[in-house]
Amino acid sequence: MSQSTGSAGVKRREFLKVLGAASAVTTTIGCSQEKVEKLIPYLVSPDQTVPGVSTYYSTTCRECATACGVVAEVRDGRAIKLEGNPEHPVNHGALCARGQAALQGLYNPDRYRSPMVREGGKLVATTWEKAIPLLSQKIGEVRSTGRAGNVAFIDQHASGSFGAFLDQWLGAFGFPAHHQYDSSADLAVRAANSAAYGVAMPGIDMAAATLVISLGADFLDGRDAGVPMQLTFADARAKLQHAPRFIYIGPRRSLTGLNADEWIACKPGSEDAIARALLGAVGGTGGGTIAEAAAASGVTAATLQRLADELKAARPSLVLSGVSTPNAGVVATIAANINKAAGNVGVTVKPGEPMGGYDGAVGAAQMGEIAKAANAGSIPLLFVRGANPAYDTPKSMQFSAAMAKVPYKVSFSCYPDETTELCDLVLPSDHALESWGDAEAKPGVISLQQPVMDRIFDTRATGDVLLQLAQGDPATVARFPWKSYRDFLVSRFPGGSATFTQALASGMANGAIAQRSAPGARPALSAETPATIAGDGEYFLVVYPHAVLSTGAGANKPWLQELPDPVAKILWQSWVELHPTTASKLGVSAGDHVTVKTSTGSITAPAFVYLGIRQDTVAVALGQGHTAYGRYAKDIGINALDALGATWNGAGGVSLTQARATVTRGGDRSDLVTTEGSARQHGRGIAQAMSVADLVAGRFGEEAHHFPGDADHSFLPGLRSPVAGDAQGDLVDSTAKDQGMYNPKHWSGMAKRRWAMTIDLARCTGCSACVTACYAENNIPTVGARWQGRALRPGSASDDSAWDTRPGANILKGREMSWLRIERYFEGGEDGSTDFEARFVPMMCQHCGNAPCEPVCPVYATYHSPDGLNVQVYNRCVGTRYCSNGCPYKVRYFNWHGYGEPERRQYAFPEPLHLQLNPDVTVRGKGVMEKCSFCVQRIREAENLAKLEGRELKPDEFTTACAQACPSRAIVFGDAADENWSVAKLALDARAYHVFEELSTYTAVVYLKRVNHPGGAN
Amino acid sequence: MASFVEPLRPNIASADVALPGVRDYEQVDDEIIATLKPSAGWFGALGVSILLFLVGAAAWIYQIYWGLGNAGYAPPVMWGVYIITFVFWVGIGHAGTLISAILFLFRAGFRTTIYRCAEAMTVFAVMTAGLFPIIHIGRPWKFFWLIPYPNWRMIWPNFKSPLVWDVFAISTYLTVSATFLYVGLIPDIAVLRDRETNPMRKQILAVLSLGWRNSEPEWRHFMKMYLFLAAFSTPLVLSVHSVVSFDFAMALTPGWHATIFAPYFVAGAIFSGVGMVFTIIIPIRRFFSLRHYVTINHLDAAAKLCLFTSLIVGCAYLIEFWVAWYSGVAVEQEFFWNRVFGQWWWSAWIMLICNMVLPLSLFSQQLRRNPTWLFILSIFINIGMWFERFVIIVPSLSHEFEPWQWGHYAPSWVDVSILIGSFGWFFMWFLLFIKQLPVIAISEVKEIVPPKLRTHAAPHGVDVSGHHPPYGVATPGEFD
Amino acid sequence: MRRGLVAAFRELDAICDAIEALKKQKYDFTVYTPTPRHEIEHAVAPPMSPVRRYTLIGGLLGLTFGYWIAVWTSEYWPLVVGGKAIASWIPYTIIGFEMMVLVGALSTVAAMFIHSGIPKITATIGFDPRFSHGDYGIFVEAPPERLKAAEDTLRAHGAVDVRGES
Repeated sequence: MSQSTGSAGVKRREFLKVLGAASAVTTTIGCSQEKVEKLIPYLVSPDQTVPGVSTYYSTTCRECATACGVVAEVRDGRAIKLEGNPEHPVNHGALCARGQAALQGLYNPDRYRSPMVREGGKLVATTWEKAIPLLSQKIGEVRSTGRAGNVAFIDQHASGSFGAFLDQWLGAFGFPAHHQYDSSADLAVRAANSAAYGVAMPGIDMAAATLVISLGADFLDGRDAGVPMQLTFADARAKLQHAPRFIYIGPRRSLTGLNADEWIACKPGSEDAIARALLGAVGGTGGGTIAEAAAASGVTAATLQRLADELKAARPSLVLSGVSTPNAGVVATIAANINKAAGNVGVTVKPGEPMGGYDGAVGAAQMGEIAKAANAGSIPLLFVRGANPAYDTPKSMQFSAAMAKVPYKVSFSCYPDETTELCDLVLPSDHALESWGDAEAKPGVISLQQPVMDRIFDTRATGDVLLQLAQGDPATVARFPWKSYRDFLVSRFPGGSATFTQALASGMANGAIAQRSAPGARPALSAETPATIAGDGEYFLVVYPHAVLSTGAGANKPWLQELPDPVAKILWQSWVELHPTTASKLGVSAGDHVTVKTSTGSITAPAFVYLGIRQDTVAVALGQGHTAYGRYAKDIGINALDALGATWNGAGGVSLTQARATVTRGGDRSDLVTTEGSARQHGRGIAQAMSVADLVAGRFGEEAHHFPGDADHSFLPGLRSPVAGDAQGDLVDSTAKDQGMYNPKHWSGMAKRRWAMTIDLARCTGCSACVTACYAENNIPTVGARWQGRALRPGSASDDSAWDTRPGANILKGREMSWLRIERYFEGGEDGSTDFEARFVPMMCQHCGNAPCEPVCPVYATYHSPDGLNVQVYNRCVGTRYCSNGCPYKVRYFNWHGYGEPERRQYAFPEPLHLQLNPDVTVRGKGVMEKCSFCVQRIREAENLAKLEGRELKPDEFTTACAQACPSRAIVFGDAADENWSVAKLALDARAYHVFEELSTYTAVVYLKRVNHPGGAN
Repeated sequence: MASFVEPLRPNIASADVALPGVRDYEQVDDEIIATLKPSAGWFGALGVSILLFLVGAAAWIYQIYWGLGNAGYAPPVMWGVYIITFVFWVGIGHAGTLISAILFLFRAGFRTTIYRCAEAMTVFAVMTAGLFPIIHIGRPWKFFWLIPYPNWRMIWPNFKSPLVWDVFAISTYLTVSATFLYVGLIPDIAVLRDRETNPMRKQILAVLSLGWRNSEPEWRHFMKMYLFLAAFSTPLVLSVHSVVSFDFAMALTPGWHATIFAPYFVAGAIFSGVGMVFTIIIPIRRFFSLRHYVTINHLDAAAKLCLFTSLIVGCAYLIEFWVAWYSGVAVEQEFFWNRVFGQWWWSAWIMLICNMVLPLSLFSQQLRRNPTWLFILSIFINIGMWFERFVIIVPSLSHEFEPWQWGHYAPSWVDVSILIGSFGWFFMWFLLFIKQLPVIAISEVKEIVPPKLRTHAAPHGVDVSGHHPPYGVATPGEFD
Repeated sequence: MRRGLVAAFRELDAICDAIEALKKQKYDFTVYTPTPRHEIEHAVAPPMSPVRRYTLIGGLLGLTFGYWIAVWTSEYWPLVVGGKAIASWIPYTIIGFEMMVLVGALSTVAAMFIHSGIPKITATIGFDPRFSHGDYGIFVEAPPERLKAAEDTLRAHGAVDVRGES
């Protein structure tokens, strides 16, 4: 969207006009705070900030190690939306669901609101004035007893200057360097890459490849470098007939696997054998034979032979590894060797253009060392910041118990997570959006992080707290001359203060961040031979990071809890994936509880019957099962780490596929909290695909039919737009009097536009970032929290027993509010074979020209705007819900409870979450219908801006929230009536189709068929 | 029953149903007025009805405060028990006007003694039905936005919406049938007024009777008016349930979007109404000892009507399936399969058995003339017709075009309470009615009671014996 | 000044004869009957009731209003829904029809009220509660000198009870 506030050089009267237009749709969200000083906005300076007009600050997303550039939209001193920074080299404007949800971390109602100190066994609020002296006193005690060398500091993993600063601070007090703990990082791959290519994460260019083979590398499941990997994948697939064929090898078909053209379901732990066979095929040294691989993997030799031949034939190709077995490092190394042998290095794998910020992380093994030391009683003082080892290390490590033995524990985290709850002193840090920082976007590019708004709670930037501690001590004060952590950043910034200030505008600068030295600056593969998969159960247990919640950090954000897992489509819940055959063997049907028992522990969760998993394997996602971490995370699902032991993946990370398990049926059952109705589209052509062969041959399936009574839409180019009276078929002449608002001469003058959207299914990977973007932009309430359910009997709001308190109770009743949903349909595989296809369809209001929902509304609460929008007037809606019955796409959502009413039990925006609400969008009341509006507020904002500047809209000048966020660039929005907009061209693509075209609804959303690359196609 | 041991009389034309048990005008007045005396049982029944009504009212208040979410709605099933019950009560409300208007035009004599009951039932049923659209909507306090009232913003309802058609159809129907009921009552109220001894009640009745004097000019205009009201009500009855059926037929939803809906709904409505008439009239004729007014022959004739409408409804069911198959539209076919053999088989079979199979028993004259069986059957019909609406609404919405959004539905305690409450509300009004005003139209019964004559020679060649056969011929089934 | 006679009859043919006779003698009188009987109607042979005219006019007015309100409001504020014509006469027929029935029915009832002069304030003069019970009745209004003759005629034709009314 527009990056300007539009207030530059505005005459007073015009300004009042905009203000009027803006406030017309504005719901007040509390008073605007005193303006933040020292901030450099994106294009204009803060003193031009106008009430009701947004200012944009560029900063850096710190939700994962990938330093994506974001632009924060700030309205009246409140950050209300995060969007990718289009100029940023990492994410090029895209942003994933977790990045979008950073705002709900910032406004999380469970954040610490002040320093906390343990008194009488529990944490109670205190003040900074008391807390900081208390800490320096503790530090003094430790140093006086000469045990400073045993102090431990566990920080979250993030690139940038803070690590160096922290080491300097620790050094000043004689403490050892800190550990950057990252439970979600695939350390084995980083270590192997470092060894093979000299960089932890080489740049990947899939578009250059003709064949991509993933050995369990889930690069589309929100793992390392999620957004850049998805961008390059989508760009590659968008090449259609020249796109690489994609083969996924692994025991479970992850989201990445579902995007593959072929899935080879190998036994867990046999990837190395297959990799060796492939290495042999491309003539690399140390290769193995097909026979060995077939024997080890349970895949037929024929399949493997074909695979090998394809790899041999494909030049260039790309092999990625991401297995989570104990021998992960080995597999990754072989994969690197294949790339070398196949001549992919420098073509599809580019160590020369690495992705930054992946060095320096340590895994759970290091946490084990600390636990050991703590058990020995040798750690006098423990610092934690951001990391949560008490939750995301295997239970068998007993980290919590060990930590309890540490005399004094200090946390700088801002959320009440499991680790921080064990601490004696909490000095909550500012959120990344409230504080200064920097990150390494890629070597040679610094991505800057600046506060986009004043802090909302009594928190402080950890950097500043450490400075104060150091300066409070005469021994160290001399080594810390900076007034604030910001000064420290500026001091080491290439070019100093002046360039720093300039760089803030774009959020980026060229130059290198001085890296911290050891420990673990470069992850290394351990020398010892990896363990094999242990246990003697009948099944392999595959544990994987949740595609949305990762290893649990996302669980306290309702947007992410409410976002269905892209594969299972389950939310607010944990589940165990079973193959249909396995399920029937165990006598289990979906929802029945199954207990998965390994030698180190056991977990119980409802079963999800899934085609995409081997019959000898069960799979469980990480991320749930928190015992603390706030109201949205606590007591939901189970933590799969409870079943895992301290087995490492060759680089100190937990090996997530490490054990065999016995699987038994539990007595209990609980309905799956899922948004899935039927997983099959029953041949209704909702998600359409074509083979690349058809594409090349120009066979695009049946042409769009022409319907009787269909009007001549010539006066509106682009998409077919209805003329009033089409339904009668008696007004087929566009000059007919009764065009109503569609008459170009209509006073509204809007009829010249036809807002429309195209969605390229060849690009869409189903990652669901667009869904969260939509929640953020449109104030959509989350309804799955355990207190938002309906009454089971008459009862008061406080009496829990009267209410349905199951997590996702409303979702079980199908009451999710997601204006935009991703439907995941399976094709084939009815026989339980591995040969099935998944198709993802983003489904939102289709803004039909002849909308079935409109004529049935008794009060005109929904009608058709002359510029092609299907408008929903919340204030007019009385809630008959007839429109929803009429809608073939079922994209209308009803406010069953008072989600927007603070006094209601079901209130969806507990303070301060309500501060995020978009002032341009109404918070819908109880009893009204709502749906996708094509971000009408953005359309009108852009139109007003153009009007103010006395010009016409520029093609592709703005776009909707979903299109803006999409890391696959699958969604394009614009004016289909004007061929200068890209949507108008795309709508005429030969792959284009409308869903349920036979219903003659004239939808404004055009889907482009997915293109499959079956074996032997290229 | 007596009529079983005796040889059954041959079927007579329903127009020739006579009341040999009623000898003269005075007897009519005395016996009908005698029914107005309150009894303990009546007070009991009234108490229960009011209690049930209060349960429903409380549930509704709770729902308004906490939101519709407490009802059982499970999207995509956006309509549920409330709309089902709305259509159910509107349907019930069709028998009254059918019997009082259409059968009046057809000169069907058997209507005379049952139409007052049926008419009152109609008015109260429509009163009940009218509440449900309001209960059902998300913002009930805004329901008046559906009414085209003048306002300075010039915002009007959408006259293309079937729901606005509903507003017009239902309110017209309620007004006309209430008027019909009241004007029909005027002469009877005059009778009560003239028999009443209590001065207070006499005053009230005098006002209600509008000073009716039974004068010949009054009767002349009255009969004309009655004829035209009947002539208007006849198409009205047919239109109202057609409009209700448009609520469904106008939506694209599979299982709804069918041209057969209007006649299908009208037949169903009349069928359910006749069922409810049995449910009401059979106890009344027993407890008010009116067996010689509502004779077995009356029930027999009404049962034939019931059977006839049941056959139409059954035919409509089968045609729906056939059309789904013949259309060749996969969505439609899958839907109907799912309705009868899939997810919702049980509700579909309740509907088919209650509405299509059981009424076939009425081909037997024994059962037609057996009040006990008719009563039991009528209960099944009521249940069956409620489930017919369930089957039309819920399975259709839960199994639409978009497989991803296929769903389930189960009513909640709020739905059930309000459903029960609606029966309380209906019977509360009906019970109050039957003890205040005559449940049998006194002056119309007098029409078919033979007048006294000085000579048996008919003066001026006028057939003084009325249109029924000379009395004295005691026909079985007319005295028990 | 005029005086009246109220006569009660037990039998239908009796009152019919009495009506014939009174008509011959040019008395003006009102007939009461517990229930409408064709015999009496034939005997009195009254003019056709004018109620039907009201019905027709009312119906037409309602029909027109129904169409008008629907069309006018649509055209006044043109909103396109589902690509239907702004003023779609086909669905508006339903509004027209319902309004026709409503207005037509109500005007019919009004006509009945107007022409049979109800509501009445006084129901007592020349009326006897018997007439709503079992008996037929005649109320003869005439100058005093003709009352005797009238009473004779009534009794001759079988009046069981004749009383004077003034």
